Amino acid sequence: MATLSIKSLGKTYPGNVTAVQDVDVEIADGEFIVLVGPSGCGKSTILRMIAGLEAITTGDLHIDGERVNDREPGDRNIAMVFQNYALYPHMSVRKNMEYGLKNEGLPKPEIAKRIEEASRTLRLEEYLDRKPRQLSGGQRQRVAMGRAIVRDPKVFLFDEPLSNLDAKLRTQLRAELKALHHRLGATFIYVTHDQVEAMSLADRIIIMNAGRVEQIGTPMDLYLRPATRFVADFIGSPAMNFIEGTVGEDRRSLAINGTQVLNMGQELPARAGAQVAMGMRPEHLGDAGGADIQVSLQVSFVEQLGADTVVHGNLSGGAQPLAVRLHGVHASEPGSEIALGCGMGHVHLFDTATGARLN
Amino acid sequence: MVENRPFLTFLTHAVLIIGVIFLCFPVWMALVASTHGPEALSRSPIPLWFGDRAWENYSQLLAGGLPEAGGVPIGRMMFNSAIMALVITFGKIAISLISAYAIVYFRFPFRMGFFWMIFITLMLPVEVRILPTFDVVTKLGMLNSYVGLTIPLIASATATFLFRQFFLTIPDELVEAARIDRAGPLRFFWDILLPMSRTNIAALFIILFIFGWNQYLWPLLVTTDESLYTVVMGIQRMVNAGEALPVWHYIMGTAVLALIPPVLVVVAMQKLFVKGLVESEK
Ligand SMILES: Nc1ncnc2c1ncn2[C@@H]1O[C@H](COP(=O)(O)OP(=O)(O)O)[C@@H](O)[C@H]1O
Ligand SMILES: [Mg+2]
Repeated sequence: MATLSIKSLGKTYPGNVTAVQDVDVEIADGEFIVLVGPSGCGKSTILRMIAGLEAITTGDLHIDGERVNDREPGDRNIAMVFQNYALYPHMSVRKNMEYGLKNEGLPKPEIAKRIEEASRTLRLEEYLDRKPRQLSGGQRQRVAMGRAIVRDPKVFLFDEPLSNLDAKLRTQLRAELKALHHRLGATFIYVTHDQVEAMSLADRIIIMNAGRVEQIGTPMDLYLRPATRFVADFIGSPAMNFIEGTVGEDRRSLAINGTQVLNMGQELPARAGAQVAMGMRPEHLGDAGGADIQVSLQVSFVEQLGADTVVHGNLSGGAQPLAVRLHGVHASEPGSEIALGCGMGHVHLFDTATGARLN
Repeated sequence: MVENRPFLTFLTHAVLIIGVIFLCFPVWMALVASTHGPEALSRSPIPLWFGDRAWENYSQLLAGGLPEAGGVPIGRMMFNSAIMALVITFGKIAISLISAYAIVYFRFPFRMGFFWMIFITLMLPVEVRILPTFDVVTKLGMLNSYVGLTIPLIASATATFLFRQFFLTIPDELVEAARIDRAGPLRFFWDILLPMSRTNIAALFIILFIFGWNQYLWPLLVTTDESLYTVVMGIQRMVNAGEALPVWHYIMGTAVLALIPPVLVVVAMQKLFVKGLVESEK
């Protein structure tokens, strides 16, 4: 169990590729932190700098108050689980889990005890003498987790550990991982590109874009008050609708493409003439009656999901794509129009140029 | 293209059988000739079936020291060949494993330069560099010794290259997992890289053992002492044994005996090789 302090962390790869810059975050003991962002945004790079697999270019990393920038991975008291499992193919499951402990010079009875405990937790007892290739993907990943657990590290690092598994197994292992975190009470840092995974696992999410942190917060912080348009777009499925336009003279209307005008129920927190993007989540659009903002959706196709129906289309009379998520089963013909409304409380306003939140 | 037509099956089998007959005929002839007396082999229709002197020929050969055959006991020559082949094989495998390890896993100045230097030597077979090598060996006083016989043949670009290519296929994550598991460079090499390379090592062992066993030109150059003669040299000397007629029954017998160790190595290693293939990942 440990606290982590990351101060203005940066990484420049040879060839002047800046993968990560100015990352600042304080991680509390026992927190489950998820690093999320699109592919190539530098998530793995941060994790690997924490692990010590990649040298830190700028900034400081403290684990439990100790600066560990220059420590070898084996001396940082961390354990890592990789996307492709990275099990030693020629060793049995037991040997895979033992290897690090043997290198540490732990006494045999202690090693045996830890392996017994971990394999019970992960339901791996009957596979201890098998080789990795005789296991399924899910079992292999559990072995990789077992290898991490037996080391009893201060910090667990996961780099997209579930990405190679099928959807059902992913959901199942996600639950197991959450339970494991609860049980061990250790600090977890988990990398994924999947926002659903991030939302369901994290105590706090660090959302990244192009090597920089966009926002750090609880899943609900990110969902309810995304700090930037990027975050608003990334979190939530189906993605948030954006309507771009110019704020009118009275600051109570939005001119779209100069032709269509949307009337707002309240004054907008932006100066007249400002270019803004108004975001509304598909699940927050609903009955038009009496709502602050009224829009009309021209249907192009419908996704029937059973519990919900997602209707995709355009803002009537324009090309702005728009989607709405309706409860239950709805039948909508392509080409028909639906009148929708949204309360101001659910409207997110962003500066078009900078992407910063305005309200 | 895999087709399943009776005619094609017949044709492919016919081609294969003809090929096998073609390849096996000389071996068959050697086996047959080693069981006849000297007269039978100098007459015009050479016998194609076994004679009755197998026991006699082989016991004389193994008893050793036949003057017609150069006088060196065959056991001695087989022993020399075995030493030479084994030292070359183990030496080549060890050196190339270590150099491939250095080239793939360590960042040092001129790393690629060293790689290309090793790679370029692939283009120079023993025969091309034999004079300078001989000169060096002479100056180091290694003539007429096992050291001189084996050391110059140990460096191997081919094996280094093969191990390099194999190491490059090992995922980086595995190396990183080992670093987190506190495996230093030596432990990683010994506990992970070496066991993972065992199928490659087995395959190379076969190839290199045969390469070493069949060395002819180099032992001929560096040994003048009869006690260091190898069996391949012995066969050659028997063929050129002065004015007397070549003793074909002994020569062929020696050739058959010389075939045995490489065959044993292939048989023994093939099991390991196939087992390794089946056991290898995924
Ligand atoms: N070893 C490397 N050398 C140069 N560039 C790298 C290296 N590793 C990663 N990068 C670059 O750094 C950026 C971030 O990579 P990474 O951290 O792996 O992203 P993510 O894990 O978020 O997908 C990418 O643009 C990638 O191309
Ligand atoms: Mg990554």
